[in-house]
Amino acid sequence: MIQFNIEASSGIPIYKQIFEQVERMIANGYLVEGTLLPSVRQVANNIDVNPMTISKAYGLLEERGYLTRLRGKGMMVAHQSEEKSKKEKMMILDKMIAELVSDAVQMGINKQELLTLIADKAEQLNLPDKINSQG
Amino acid sequence: MTTTIQISKLSKSYKKQQVLTELDWSIKQGDVIGLLGKNGAGKSTLINAILNINPADSGSVSLLGEDNKVLTSATKARIGYVPQQNDEITWLTVKELIQFKKQFYAHWNDSKVAELISRWEIDTNKKMSELSVGQGQRVLIILALAHEPDLMIFDEPAAALDPAGRRDFLKEIVNLAADENKTIIFSTHITTDLERVANKVAILHQGKICHFDDLDNVKENVVKVSVISDQPNKITIPYAINTFQDNHQVNGVVTQVDLQWKKELESQGHQVDITPMSLEDIFLELTA
Repeated sequence: MIQFNIEASSGIPIYKQIFEQVERMIANGYLVEGTLLPSVRQVANNIDVNPMTISKAYGLLEERGYLTRLRGKGMMVAHQSEEKSKKEKMMILDKMIAELVSDAVQMGINKQELLTLIADKAEQLNLPDKINSQG
Repeated sequence: MTTTIQISKLSKSYKKQQVLTELDWSIKQGDVIGLLGKNGAGKSTLINAILNINPADSGSVSLLGEDNKVLTSATKARIGYVPQQNDEITWLTVKELIQFKKQFYAHWNDSKVAELISRWEIDTNKKMSELSVGQGQRVLIILALAHEPDLMIFDEPAAALDPAGRRDFLKEIVNLAADENKTIIFSTHITTDLERVANKVAILHQGKICHFDDLDNVKENVVKVSVISDQPNKITIPYAINTFQDNHQVNGVVTQVDLQWKKELESQGHQVDITPMSLEDIFLELTA
């Protein structure tokens, strides 16, 4: 069963934490199309959270096209179009970069230093300049 | 959705100390509410007034559609209550006390009682007076759940429990919350107790419910806003409950973010940061 990592005392609502974790698991391919998610009750019991919170997260994921509701079976990971998932991936990265940049500002790192850091890291991890699109 | 509790203009004072001041509050069926308040804010006073255990001086309370001063026994049987202090008959054994209590109710879930007794390792041959505070509290919780009431009110239920017991008790509330018809109120001054299980949070402050909203809304709306600017004294943060300035930065805690204002400032080249706050910090800010 997929494990959610909830920080109840953080300022981020729990439904949002679950939403984002599923979103990321789908974006990075950990959850593939057709995977059944654990039931609301199972998750609620597993992480000791009000079931309404889980329903809210699942509902939102359904609304955004990540999940499909199967009658009597629960929630399944929906088909993600190539174009849409690229967009979603960029949005997730954008959010992470915003956090990173804000941290850098707090530490007094300037733009050039930050960009160099990122370029160096990309080099280290052999990030290709361009990925040939396969669609 | 139906209203389970309707409170209007409830006032209560002890001698010259005004505790509740024309308090209005409306609670819907299915709400799981964490009632937060500092020590001495009047949480127990409010609960006792709701249940008419210690009647209010003025105002009215409707419970499950009936005036709380003239509840029918059928309605009383739909309410479960766990007091902060054990005021049950102490010279009975746990087993005897359960048998005694059971007589008052038409409906009683024996298997639920047995399950909780074994899970919480309670020696039913012991007298109530011989139990530790935590074990006594667990027995009271069992008694309040046994008749499967529609409305449950817990006054600082987790106060006497150890961390494992707290977690287990909260788990029990999670299970109850899965049944969306049940209404649950529990008072606490420990915010972490309610963050996982409550869907709404009410803050009792200066005699009134000063804040009552979905827990998610509270966390999304009450946030810290900081603006970096060359002229910090020209910046006013909307909906701020308090602001403070240092050199090039204005900080404020707001009860809601004015996105229009944020956009405007950003278009003028200011940097506006929004940081979420833990419920504990929110609680401290709202009752400061």
